[in-house]
Amino acid sequence: MTVDLSVSLGDVSFKNPVFVASGTFGYGTESNDLVDVSQLGAIVTKSITKHPREGNPPPRIVETPSGMINSIGLANIGVDKYIEKMIPVYEKIGTHVITNIAGFSIDDYLHVLEKLESSGGNVCGYEINVSCPNVDTGRMEFSVDPKSTRELTKALRSATKKLLILKLSPNVTDIGEIAAAAVEGGADALSAINTLFGMSIDPATRRPNINTNIGGLSGPSIRPVGIASVYKISKAVDVPVIGIGGITSVKDVIEYLLAGASAVQVGTANFRDAAIATRIINDLGTYCEENDIATICDLIGKVESYD
Amino acid sequence: MIVKKMIAEKGTVLNNEEIAHGIYQMTFSAERICNEEPFPGQFLNICVDDSWEHPLRRPMSIADVNDNQLSIIYKVFGEGTKILSEYKNGYSIDLLGPLGNSFGETEGTTPILIGGGVGLSPIIWFHKVLQTNGVEHKIVVGAQSVNEHFLSHDPEENIYLTTDDGSVGEHGTVMPTVKKICDEVENPKLFSCGPEPMMKAVHLFVNKFDFPCELSVESYMGCATGLCQGCVIERASNSLKEHSYHERYSLVCTDGPIYQAKEIVFS
Ligand SMILES: Cc1cc2nc3c(=O)[nH]c(=O)nc-3n(C[C@H](O)[C@H](O)[C@H](O)COP(=O)(O)O)c2cc1C
Repeated sequence: MTVDLSVSLGDVSFKNPVFVASGTFGYGTESNDLVDVSQLGAIVTKSITKHPREGNPPPRIVETPSGMINSIGLANIGVDKYIEKMIPVYEKIGTHVITNIAGFSIDDYLHVLEKLESSGGNVCGYEINVSCPNVDTGRMEFSVDPKSTRELTKALRSATKKLLILKLSPNVTDIGEIAAAAVEGGADALSAINTLFGMSIDPATRRPNINTNIGGLSGPSIRPVGIASVYKISKAVDVPVIGIGGITSVKDVIEYLLAGASAVQVGTANFRDAAIATRIINDLGTYCEENDIATICDLIGKVESYD
Repeated sequence: MIVKKMIAEKGTVLNNEEIAHGIYQMTFSAERICNEEPFPGQFLNICVDDSWEHPLRRPMSIADVNDNQLSIIYKVFGEGTKILSEYKNGYSIDLLGPLGNSFGETEGTTPILIGGGVGLSPIIWFHKVLQTNGVEHKIVVGAQSVNEHFLSHDPEENIYLTTDDGSVGEHGTVMPTVKKICDEVENPKLFSCGPEPMMKAVHLFVNKFDFPCELSVESYMGCATGLCQGCVIERASNSLKEHSYHERYSLVCTDGPIYQAKEIVFS
């Protein structure tokens, strides 16, 4: 039996639903010794900003039970270097590349998106990291405010016809409300979740283990939060959802698909094993064969919820 | 810099023993990594726990290479190293390596190798390589007490031990011994890896006297391959631009772990 693993988001068709998450796979080529990236459903890049960024002072990461906390601070090469160095490389990379964009005002995001639009190149769409403070509204994060989210999405929508994905934060009261705002603004798809607030402290020194005190928690410990978020979003809106958070195995992928995800992204697990997403893709094929699933789309949202 | 290929390999543990109080040496087979011809300073990133309770690998400097065998010397100081210390012969060990750069030029200098605690591996291995190549050099190893040492104090053979409590070798930190040696030898060049206070002291000393010095920097790491951008160290630079990338912070896993002392600052 041949299994059809392909999925669609907006107008774009992906060969399989397993992508690698922003900030956990660099610009896509760092792990070429270890993995054939052309097998991936897509590569989502590190967040790209208007200017290059050094990021935060160390320490930037710490391990936590089944997870980690990071405060990288959006260290990246900036959009100009990205266009110069990476866009040409993507011509032959063998899979879709989604550029993740971050900013601190609507103009910041627009600047990056417009530059990318005019540079052409093999980028199939954009994922918008809204877990950034909006300096125009008193530094409140875009991600927690439906109005900011809607306005930002609208502005970007009017500047591109390509796939536009809004990446949502779990650090909100009602993620369904933010999802609805992004869809009203014109998002083709939503991805969830970005990291949760997290903190750990060294009792010996009484110092937090990362320089920003509070950072972003990721890894297997956040998986149930990711699955619940996908479930809520897929109930609230009609666009495809990309599930993110704590994925390490094919079983985790199936859970996300059943909860309503049309695709998933593997994040923290790449740090242990850069080839883990490709292994999961193989396992997904095997799982479908063994369970007589002809097309992966048959699993999406098929959780049998209690009434 | 020689760019070597990273290899993911499952090795087999051949030996794992406590060689001094709280300090272990583990030897394992790892043919494909050995084929990449690692050099002192380079490291492995080791997955200590098959479950995901500890998701991150542990970076460990290589302490020796023999044909297809590698070894590491490690001090038990956290959950990861505790798990490692319980590995038995025959266990499979999940390795990634060789990673990072390595110690550089010694020609025209008298190398002085300085190590201690968790930072012994690259120093011990470099010592062995220099011995094999007939390069005259000195090695100074510091510890709190005699039971943490596994070498013998033997100044005639250019091996100097120091202890905080004076129980073997020179009494005190490595610094007085290092200073004395620097006064006596021609063109000293220092190579150091050790706990942060030791590295800071070496750093201060070489900057004051303008001695060449390579430091092997220890850092908490996520991936060790440049993906996560977690392991940075501040560069010494006085011409910082408003917007830059990797000019203020250097990535220890791929730019390091070996730095010229002048290149970096310890905050
Ligand atoms: C070290 C690190 C860096 C990250 N950088 C970014 C980033 O630049 N942009 C972004 O949108 N998400 C970033 N993320 C969030 C991940 O893309 C992902 O949403 C989150 O880690 C949850 O997935 P996981 O549990 O599989 O890691 C980062 C996560 C980690 C651990």
